Amino acid sequence: MSQIKDQMPTLIMGGSLLIYGLIAKTGALLPVAKYLHTHKTMDLQVTMTLIVGCIAIVGALINTTRKPGTSKLDTFVLRPLGGIVLILVMAMAIRWYAEPLMKIISKGLQPTLGFKIYKVLNLNYVVLGILAGVLLTNTWGIPKFAGEGVKCARFVLKMGVIMLGARYSFAELAKLGVYSVFLVGFFVLGTVFLVLWLGNLFKQPKSMTGVLSAGMGVCGVSATVAVAPVVKAKSAEMAYTIGTILSFGIICMFVFPTIGKLAGMSPVQFGAWAGTGILNSAQVAAAALAFNAVDIETLKVAEIFNITRVLFLPIIVLVLATWFGKETGQKLSFKSVVIDKFPVFIIGFLILFFMSSVGLFSPPSHYKGKYIDVSYNDRSQVTPEEWEVLNTAMAAGEFSGLTPTQLEAVTNLVEQHQIAGNFEDRADKKAFDKAGRARMTQLQGVLAAAKAKQITLSADVKAAIKHAVKQVKKKSKTVVTLTDFMIWFFAFGLIGLGMQITKKAITQAGGWPIVMGVIAGITKATLSFFVVLWLIKDVVLN
Amino acid sequence: MFNNVLLCTHGTDGAKKAEAFAFKKLEADPELKVTMLTVLDEDWRQMTGDDWLNSNKTHTTFLDHVENQMNEEIAEEWQRIKTSYPVAERAKFLQRTGNIAETITKTAKELGCDLIIIGSWRKSKKFSIHSTRMGLRTTMTNKDLHPLLPCPLLVVP
Repeated sequence: MSQIKDQMPTLIMGGSLLIYGLIAKTGALLPVAKYLHTHKTMDLQVTMTLIVGCIAIVGALINTTRKPGTSKLDTFVLRPLGGIVLILVMAMAIRWYAEPLMKIISKGLQPTLGFKIYKVLNLNYVVLGILAGVLLTNTWGIPKFAGEGVKCARFVLKMGVIMLGARYSFAELAKLGVYSVFLVGFFVLGTVFLVLWLGNLFKQPKSMTGVLSAGMGVCGVSATVAVAPVVKAKSAEMAYTIGTILSFGIICMFVFPTIGKLAGMSPVQFGAWAGTGILNSAQVAAAALAFNAVDIETLKVAEIFNITRVLFLPIIVLVLATWFGKETGQKLSFKSVVIDKFPVFIIGFLILFFMSSVGLFSPPSHYKGKYIDVSYNDRSQVTPEEWEVLNTAMAAGEFSGLTPTQLEAVTNLVEQHQIAGNFEDRADKKAFDKAGRARMTQLQGVLAAAKAKQITLSADVKAAIKHAVKQVKKKSKTVVTLTDFMIWFFAFGLIGLGMQITKKAITQAGGWPIVMGVIAGITKATLSFFVVLWLIKDVVLN
Repeated sequence: MFNNVLLCTHGTDGAKKAEAFAFKKLEADPELKVTMLTVLDEDWRQMTGDDWLNSNKTHTTFLDHVENQMNEEIAEEWQRIKTSYPVAERAKFLQRTGNIAETITKTAKELGCDLIIIGSWRKSKKFSIHSTRMGLRTTMTNKDLHPLLPCPLLVVP
């Protein structure tokens, strides 16, 4: 009987999802979805709610008939099921309802406030998810049935980073890797030494400055947890440090994206800045997605910086162990300091990167799952309105400033309604493809010339050409699916991690750690902001 | 009037007032039984916050370190009490882990105490750089404690 009672919340959530999915399938929710601008996700809403609802009900029913054991199925699926379903329900509610509503309300309040709350506070699904997690844990608390599932968030976030590995090219990884090693290396070591120097200046205990320097310099609470036993930190020192880092990190999560947008940072610049200046690695991912939640360019850059920081962690632990051990005579083994602290999930990230690079997820001719398809296809065509714009512009002589090859590409676009090869060559795939790609290059040249103000084109014409180019750039279905999954994994992981940020932990901030932490944190964030703006300009992500 | 007292302390200024009061009573009454309770806050488990990078092994090492460290600090605290109040040798020293209000009331019930003594609320020194306290800064509200009380509660001003 008590087992049925324990599983009741999961059964109710599963049942509600099934009912929602079935109602959505009939199309009854379409008007609401159109109002919220989420109608394009209706298919996904139906599929996800039905699948998650079925799994929740089946899993909960199994849990009512038998006591959860210690098998892998019990440990990884059945016992954490309640928490997993709760986080998924929250993620779905936030992505499909809370975020769109926030946009609508924000738009409605704009005339009164003079700005959009949504944009200023970057209240997208990621930030809302974290806030919902923090709110839940600090008001009602994490429900008992969800306790084990919430702990899965760490694992799920690591899976998200592993999947992200499939989205890098060798060139990107090499270029970003070099930047990140230099920037992170400089700022990690710089902040660690700054805090150690401040500790010496303010005559603070070595154990406190040791643990604070790692937290402020490397990766926030994770570094504090790793270093505290090594430097024998006292209880208050750990509590004050963690409180300081969590408070500082949460402020950064909201402030960084706003400053980044105000400063006109590119996705690459912001990713690099967040990956260097924000303390907690979960908050780096959150800020990157807050800056740009639509595509994952910023996240890609931020995660490379994050990973580089994490790779620095064993080195910093080793440095601090040596520094602390000199005075106390404490000796630690290389294994306990470096090997045990090595983040194993990075190996998974690299495996996915290599699998993707050898073309496992898309044919070798594709570039990281992206390819150009100039064959005849309805989906590659410009819209009738765009065609009208181009045709009118052509008749009005708006393209007179183009080179002959550019003009030929535009003329052909108007004739064929899409970028394609020559109709008469359609049997010769190679020649057809070559001509189509050449036209695409010419049209990109037209857009570049317009951007450089060498020619003048109306906004509608530019938009039509841009759309035509976009239409022939296709993505591998496997990579698109992998990316969609990854975004959900990040949303799930960050909501779960939000649930682990307690008011009690935050309010521990105080004492000398908050003084030294604020000095070091602001110095690092400010300096890295200018260095990133100065240094990172030319990395192009594909 | 009271024979079996549970004195709860964690080394703050308020708790020190409670210590002074309880040991004065112990000195005056040779029959009085005093148990000195220090609670290790279970919320240390939540202090890893949103850390997701470390392995379970690193987490366990951290929590083991917290426990060892707290044990050392509590032992130092007890030594301070024994040095300050020689009569404290007659008291029983007890350390428990858990939710503070629940642990205090549960222990009082287990030991059959007829009085619980705690220090009064003091203004937080949260942002003071001159004093750091042992363990987590935590407040126990009357709302949490009062419904669970198995015996009278004395708050020493």
